[in-house]
Amino acid sequence: MKRRTFLSTTAAAAVGTQVLGGIPLKAFSPGDLGERVQADDDRILIVIQMFGGNDGLNTIVPVDDPEYYKIRPSIAVPKIKAVNVLSNVYMHPSLDSKAPYNLKRMFEDGRLAIINGIGYENPNLSHFRSTDIWLSGFNSSDPEKRLADGWLGRYWSNKINGFPEVLPPDPIAVQIGGSLSMLLRSPKGDTGIALTDPQKFFELGQGLSPDMDPMPEDTRFGHEFNFVRLVAEQSDRYSTVVKDAFDKGSNQVTYYANNFVKQMKLVARLISGGLKTKVYLVYMGGFDTHVQQQDENLNGLHPYLLEMLSTGIGTFMQDALIQGFADRVVGMTVSEFGRRPYENGSRGTDHGAASVQFVFGNGVRAGVYGEMPDLKNFDSNGDLRYQWDYRRVYADVLENWFGGSPEDTESVLEDRVLPLGVLQRSTSVDDSYAGRVQVDVRVAPNPMTDQTTLEWYQPVPGIVKVDIYGTEGRFLQNIYTDRVMPGTMRVPVRGLSSGSYICTVSVNGARTIVPLTVVR
Amino acid sequence: MNRRNLFSSLVRASKRGGGELHSAPMVQAGLEPNTTPLTLDDVLHLYRRLGFAVSMPVALSHVGKQAGVLVDELLGPDDPGSPTPDIKFAQWLDPATQTLVDYTENPEGADLETRFAIEGWWSSNHRLLSNWWLNRMMGDATAIERITMFWMSHWATEFSFDETYMVPQMHYRQYRMLRSNRLGNFPRMALDVTVDNAMVFYLGGTYNEVGRPNENYGRELLELFTTGIGWYTEGDVQQAARVLTGWKTSRFNDQPAPKGIYNTWFDANKHDTGAKEFLGVTIAARTPDNNTEFQVLNEEVFELINIIHRIRPDAVARFIARKAYLYFVYSSPNDVDPKLLNELANEFKTSGFEIKPMLKKLFTSQHFFDPAIRGAQIKTPVEFVVGLQRQFGVAELDPQFWVLEMDQVMLDPPNVAGWPGYHAWISTNTYPRRREFARKLIDSMTDVRANVFIREFSKYEDVAAFVLGVTKFLLPVAVSPARLDFYKSALLEGQPDYTWAEKLLVPSASARAMRELLKAIAKAPDFQLC
Repeated sequence: MKRRTFLSTTAAAAVGTQVLGGIPLKAFSPGDLGERVQADDDRILIVIQMFGGNDGLNTIVPVDDPEYYKIRPSIAVPKIKAVNVLSNVYMHPSLDSKAPYNLKRMFEDGRLAIINGIGYENPNLSHFRSTDIWLSGFNSSDPEKRLADGWLGRYWSNKINGFPEVLPPDPIAVQIGGSLSMLLRSPKGDTGIALTDPQKFFELGQGLSPDMDPMPEDTRFGHEFNFVRLVAEQSDRYSTVVKDAFDKGSNQVTYYANNFVKQMKLVARLISGGLKTKVYLVYMGGFDTHVQQQDENLNGLHPYLLEMLSTGIGTFMQDALIQGFADRVVGMTVSEFGRRPYENGSRGTDHGAASVQFVFGNGVRAGVYGEMPDLKNFDSNGDLRYQWDYRRVYADVLENWFGGSPEDTESVLEDRVLPLGVLQRSTSVDDSYAGRVQVDVRVAPNPMTDQTTLEWYQPVPGIVKVDIYGTEGRFLQNIYTDRVMPGTMRVPVRGLSSGSYICTVSVNGARTIVPLTVVR
Repeated sequence: MNRRNLFSSLVRASKRGGGELHSAPMVQAGLEPNTTPLTLDDVLHLYRRLGFAVSMPVALSHVGKQAGVLVDELLGPDDPGSPTPDIKFAQWLDPATQTLVDYTENPEGADLETRFAIEGWWSSNHRLLSNWWLNRMMGDATAIERITMFWMSHWATEFSFDETYMVPQMHYRQYRMLRSNRLGNFPRMALDVTVDNAMVFYLGGTYNEVGRPNENYGRELLELFTTGIGWYTEGDVQQAARVLTGWKTSRFNDQPAPKGIYNTWFDANKHDTGAKEFLGVTIAARTPDNNTEFQVLNEEVFELINIIHRIRPDAVARFIARKAYLYFVYSSPNDVDPKLLNELANEFKTSGFEIKPMLKKLFTSQHFFDPAIRGAQIKTPVEFVVGLQRQFGVAELDPQFWVLEMDQVMLDPPNVAGWPGYHAWISTNTYPRRREFARKLIDSMTDVRANVFIREFSKYEDVAAFVLGVTKFLLPVAVSPARLDFYKSALLEGQPDYTWAEKLLVPSASARAMRELLKAIAKAPDFQLC
């Protein structure tokens, strides 16, 4: 996108910043988008993993809810200290960090989406299991099911032609530090590399390709031999590519000296240097705040982590804006769960369920998604109820950012999950050839009782699917699938029990979303 | 190589089916005892998995023994006594008086300079303790330290976490406790850990008080330490937390320490005396006069652990047996034969959760010696660093640094689940560092040491037999004739076979050749396997 288009988009987004929780879903359906971001193949996703379970209630703070102060007598953020960013939306003051650009300012500029109530059905309160659920994109209630690979690893291993027989010239995914995460693993092999220091990686990686060919895979030994061998090849091969990008790239702003912030700095430099990597994974630990999470002056581990989160993202964004790659990057936070609403006896909070997620970048439809948590209506464990399935933003990334189809989403997540609409949809030139068109769907009557009818004009021949989802984004049922010719389409909907639903009409994979209410 | 050739060389041998998890054929042999006298390959295999590899002369001395005999030797005495660390670790040299003192000041609330001095001292002590332990592994003729390492990884506590540190003295005491428990009764070990100072501090037990429960340890006791996930409700976690209220750490000289510093104690006023309902079993309420340390420890804490073993015996047995299998035999989580696992778990359960019989059964089984599991395990950084030093007969001054470079900080796993292990050990981050370590270690072999090493192989004068011997010694699975030729050529620097005899006459020449051979072998993927 050209510079000028970018400016008008952000202006529009800034104006469009609004609370979406209480208003009809239609207001943020992808179809409503005025500006369309052009698809290109250099779009980048940054995943920020906040390990330990971030306390959503002390991140976006429900200061107007008296219950909050009852259940958190010693660690609540007083209203007077919270940072008001929009009508009833208050941030922990640490998110308005000391950095010149931070999450608060990004929200004001229309570059941040706040998603309240992110979670999933039957929450698992184990760090490890829930992290696996978040990274794999599978929510399996069967504890014996072993989760071995990640949603991004699966998606990219299928999108890259010839993987893993032929590796692309640049690493598909780069993880800063540590051992390679499940997120980037796939059944076909690892799609990512892990690195800490590009210079050292280059010095040590040279000439590491093994002298011998792969072994047959039919023994355990052969399988493990080939695993090590591929890592050796990747070390040799990508050490040069990464070094080239590192040397060509630069940072145009000063980054605070903190481990997480420095990871964001390295990501910015690699992008600036032209590395064609699609996914970056950075990591912050320490969110498991069972003990002394903050004192009466709002100092402590949790405020510190929020300060660094905001500083790292804000400084990165500032760098990206100056260097002109801000349009190509979006980021999201993931954390395995939130904390329990009630504080524990140690000025801390135990493991909980639903929490807050941030999605940032110029391509984000800024605003607040979902209601503030209901502090009087907990689940059976006494935890916050979720409003959005955690994979809704994944579906956004796949369909609206990376240009995948609903079929891709279904195949990667092994479930039909509806995009939340938090990312601006990209339209590629291929779409018109493929007949991927959105249609204008009318629903009457709505609210319905026994039956309603969807009606639209079908401009092209194609495969039409009509599906019903719950408002949290999980697939409920398919009510129509057929190959149709152009003309006026009428599809009846019946047999739904009372409640709110999302109805989707997809034409050759392009999806239109309409809300549907049933009152019986 | 030009770019195009490079791309096409990046080819994997065989495709794995999309969506299918890797699953190699199950090993046929079960847990029935292996009664065939051990070959050299068997001895090397046993030491690689149960110990930290072994030198050639020691390996040769065990050939022909029965597996049961050698495994008994390796498991060592039930209670091996407590090793005393270097005095410099235990105490601090006071700069003013030049005397050695215990350094137990509380940095919390101290001025910044004092705080940094104390934390710096801990960091330095942590490195000393790590190197001390790594050197014990180096010198250990048995598997005592290896099995202790297994339990330290199971009952994981971190050195550095949140904004604080584990005082290394506490880790040292935890190490001693697990070391003496390592072959004993598992419920007893669980009890000792539950009231151990390091754990009570690490998982917030010290903050767990009546009316202010902290669920951290109660949850991990079930999820990570005994039954595994899926065998309890959230209510059970909350009830376990109530049972465990009242235990306090003692870390600093300004804290109460009725049992002495670094020992936990029981604060009766902070214990929840109400009745608890855990896994369907009621733990009765108590009155103030029976709310004593002794009674609560036995009637509640030990009872809690016994209830877990009584109500969920199969879950515990399977969870621990599985963990041992993954750690010692094959780490791929999808390749554990359920029948074999049940058999191993059953051994553990029917012995009343005694650890030694289970380990002995595993390590003397035909399954363990089956060729199909050899070379399937990825060496952990500790195994790699300690093992290479033992195999090459050279010592690295700061081994903990190298272990850290390979992403394993001694006594400091990433979180309470311990190290994830398996493929997580090898990445583009860590693999180059493993290679670097091997290269440095090989370069540090003196001419004298290299020549001694050469002569530890029986037919070292026959160049083909010598190369074969070295590959068998350093690699877990026999290599192809083509690879043997390749390594011979590395040894002889491309010259004909008869030049080996000439090199052997000149120590510097044979040493240099030897290093070239080792470097060529260290470059192979299977050098990372055992």
